Amino acid sequence: MRSRTSSILFAVACMACAGRHATFAAEPARQDAVQMTVDLLGNDDAEFRQIAIDRVRTGVRGEEATRRFTDLLPSLAPERQTELVAALTDRGDRTAAPALLALLDSSADEAIRAVTIRGLAALGGAADVAILVRSLAAGDAERTAARRGLVVIGADAGPAILASAKVAEPDLRAALLEILAERRERAALPDLAAAAVDDAPIVRAAAMRSLARMGGPDQVAAMMKGLLKAAAGTERDEAERALITICTQSPEREDAALEFLEQFRSADEASRDALVPTLGRLGGEGALAIVDTLVANPDAVQRRLGLTALVRWPDATVSQRLLDLLSKAQDPAEREMLLSALIRIAPLPDNKLNDKQKLSLLQKTMTLCQRDADRRRVLERANAIRTVDTLRFVEPYLDDPTLAESACLSVVELAHHRTLRDANKDEFTKALDKVVTTTKNPELVERAERYKQGQTWERKKPAAKS
Amino acid sequence: MTYDPASLDASFAALQGFDWGRDAAALQPIDAAVIAAHGNEAARGDLERRLAALLGGGTSRAAKEYVCRKLSLIGTASAVPPLAALLPDKEHSHMARFALERIAATEAAAALRQALGEVQGDLKIGMISSLAARGDAASVPLLAALLAGESRTAVAAAEALGRIGTPEAAQALAAAAGVDRTVASAIADARLACAEARLRQGQRQEALATYKAIADAAASGTDQAAKLVRLAATRGMLACLDAPASS
Repeated sequence: MRSRTSSILFAVACMACAGRHATFAAEPARQDAVQMTVDLLGNDDAEFRQIAIDRVRTGVRGEEATRRFTDLLPSLAPERQTELVAALTDRGDRTAAPALLALLDSSADEAIRAVTIRGLAALGGAADVAILVRSLAAGDAERTAARRGLVVIGADAGPAILASAKVAEPDLRAALLEILAERRERAALPDLAAAAVDDAPIVRAAAMRSLARMGGPDQVAAMMKGLLKAAAGTERDEAERALITICTQSPEREDAALEFLEQFRSADEASRDALVPTLGRLGGEGALAIVDTLVANPDAVQRRLGLTALVRWPDATVSQRLLDLLSKAQDPAEREMLLSALIRIAPLPDNKLNDKQKLSLLQKTMTLCQRDADRRRVLERANAIRTVDTLRFVEPYLDDPTLAESACLSVVELAHHRTLRDANKDEFTKALDKVVTTTKNPELVERAERYKQGQTWERKKPAAKS
Repeated sequence: MTYDPASLDASFAALQGFDWGRDAAALQPIDAAVIAAHGNEAARGDLERRLAALLGGGTSRAAKEYVCRKLSLIGTASAVPPLAALLPDKEHSHMARFALERIAATEAAAALRQALGEVQGDLKIGMISSLAARGDAASVPLLAALLAGESRTAVAAAEALGRIGTPEAAQALAAAAGVDRTVASAIADARLACAEARLRQGQRQEALATYKAIADAAASGTDQAAKLVRLAATRGMLACLDAPASS
């Protein structure tokens, strides 16, 4: 290393001596800087090499300098090729692109290929899309680099990516559709809408996810068709989530929700029936009017559809309807649906009720429970309402042998919150003492003891899936 | 804070007997007067004279420190003699230097240079530090002479020459060998600082020559310190060659 460094220093010495009494000329000096950088890139010491890498990244500008650096690429060892390509990428000079292409053609090293793909994406444009698309089928590192590269490659590359997506096989097509969405290529919206009803499930799913990211009211009809075509199970759940996202979270969500209702009303009967559960998950006044009609329908199938929508409602605006229906329900299955819905929506954080109203709703639900299993669910759900009134509601059930464990759990969960616990210390201490003598769950005993002493407790993380 | 001339006499009386633990609010009229004296030569001169008069005997260390702080703001050549008298005093040397570092008059630098030859140990290092803070080019020969002396003083002198950064300082550093590794390392750092100063001033040719000389001097070293110097010099050389402007 020393001899190499010394030769560099000797060269610089010559430069320094030659111009000592002359004006320091910029261009020869720049050429000297390029030569010195080139020499340092060949240095065996990584720290000296890093000086040159930094200079490639941000110094010695100009296309000629870039060409001098890229000329080195074929002769460098793989790890040094990687260093230099990364620096050339940051340098941002498109002059380096042909050399990167050549390196990609000649190297099978995955690390080099990945960093070169990143470089091509940063320096290239539409003409390089085909190469990046091919790399989407490569190994992990190259594929990841290509995917990211297609997202960030110049704005002129959008049409080329779209063209590739049109003719690609399903797996690749799905990946390209999601890339288009990540690029916010609005010109791709018609193609995404068409892909929502593609024959390949992977393409449909990708299209729905993509539309959820950048779609609006104009895409709702296509997404509804996509939802109807989705296979029951995960694909359908995800498709429904995508459609709900457009109608509840997109910038034009109100128009999108109106469009959904309009499309729903004009759909054929079979489609409407299939879309009713989604209608319930959407919520809102327009949907409620439709659902009310269905629930009031004397036809059992239609009523059941209406109830299915009602129990999926996203907030507590339907709580009184659910209470009324539950108080009159005779069918056990219907009771179970309604009860579950009430237990679910009562403590929802964004359900338009304050804590007092939430607790009141749960208390009313408790009075309508006919089975201990349901009462236990109410007691366990109650701890999501973090008030001392909830503690007062739950505490008496510590004395009921059939409900005590659920009550113990809720007392301990409420006590977990230090602010609530410290503000009502006496009441919590009394309830936690009762938990210790009542529960058969050792973890609850340990937690109760810790909270009584003002200590914290770390919730165990669920075991990782193998 | 408003300036009230009528309360100034009372404030000076309070300063005469001031010590740590006393209410510093009594000194606020002097603070206000210092601010109000900006652009008013007569008022400034009067304040300077009254403050400097308190640097002699009969006032506490706290009062003298307060006076030094104020003289650092409004002091001129007139304040230098009483401040210089404090430089050999272990208790007051630091605050006297605080004022002399900031007083623009060349007499202030001359007083520090004179004291440099008269004090020893920590006080000498203090003088070196103050001369460096002033960027006093005239002190280069004095500082250069210290490079071959006791290690702590030599390190301080090297750092000072690096901060002064003139071609003469660079030459003095280049001629020094360093009595031990610590001094040699400080000299190398100071030489790099001189080269950076040249480069910042657009004197690329001189900077390049300095970096080259530094790299040559470190070329025979096999330890990490020598390598770090070579790295810094190499980086500097590239910066010289690749700088956007020429001189």
